[in-house]
Amino acid sequence: MNADRFGIGWRPRLAAGILSNLERLDIVEVIADDYFRADRQQRRALRTLAAQTRVTLHGVSLGMASAVPVETRRLDDMARLCDEVRPAFWSEHLAFVRGGGVEIGHLAAPPRCEATIGGALANLARAKQIVGIAPQVENVATLIDPPGSDRDEAAWISAIVRNSDSSLLLDLHNLHANALNFGFNASEFLTRIPTEKVATIHLAGGKWIGRNGAQRLLDDHLHDVPDPVYELLAEVAARAPQPLTVILERDGNFPSIEALLVQLDRAREAVARGRAHLIMNEIAA
Amino acid sequence: MSSSRLESFLARIYVDVAAREKFLADPRGEATRAGLAAHEIDDLANIDRDGLEMFAHSLEHKKAKHGNPKNQHS
Repeated sequence: MNADRFGIGWRPRLAAGILSNLERLDIVEVIADDYFRADRQQRRALRTLAAQTRVTLHGVSLGMASAVPVETRRLDDMARLCDEVRPAFWSEHLAFVRGGGVEIGHLAAPPRCEATIGGALANLARAKQIVGIAPQVENVATLIDPPGSDRDEAAWISAIVRNSDSSLLLDLHNLHANALNFGFNASEFLTRIPTEKVATIHLAGGKWIGRNGAQRLLDDHLHDVPDPVYELLAEVAARAPQPLTVILERDGNFPSIEALLVQLDRAREAVARGRAHLIMNEIAA
Repeated sequence: MSSSRLESFLARIYVDVAAREKFLADPRGEATRAGLAAHEIDDLANIDRDGLEMFAHSLEHKKAKHGNPKNQHS
């Protein structure tokens, strides 16, 4: 029997709703960076949460996909937190977040080239060595096709995931946004990546922004999951027989917890639909 | 390594308005002065200006709203 799990991203504004609905959640994703400098009370609260439910730690500031090595002190922070919380797994983004002493303050898509593939592989190997477990790695949304690239996103991600010990945390809204923003087919993308290494799925929503007539879909995590993302989720479930963890991310403009749980139910339905398709294909074969 | 130099260059034009304006006024010249490789200079000369500005504005918006980059999740 497949052990798919469904959960939600921990945010302080959602705390009460999450804690009162733990029986409807298989896992809670916590932003690791929020706890690197947390006081003893906050760390205790996190350990209490981890004792009540399955927790995963999600990093946002390591900058794994860079030609520049991640600083050891940042990996040490993650290692200490993982030791303390014992998460089901931990994850980071395939992004760069700083360069030349400048903090970008968000996740930026790096040039998709040999140098950043090599840099990411070296960073992931060091992360595994220091933390003790390889992180899952997440594809990022971008508003600009990164200059200095010599290959597309599917080829770049595949090279990293195939050649590392990391599984893929596939953010389907990031994929949906990049596909719309840069004119590629998200379903075709799924045929080109190693779906057997997809372990976790992120779901989120966004909004359209514009400038000089150009439009881009911004992954802002402030809106409901759009229908095409559920369709992509069903497609992944049909291609990936391994257990999947599905996390709903919401960073603001919070609806009721019930409205978020309804979105998780839709995710369950989409995965079930994909699994049914998988079984039908196996029977037909 | 040129790619780390390119990452530094991109970080600066993403977050620094003055550096971005200077770059957009003379992309090839600024990229050349930064010591980037020929193919990177060519790419930057043809940069998606609307995408660059939208990304930069989204960063400014996040910083204005959250202040601390640690509070910006994805």
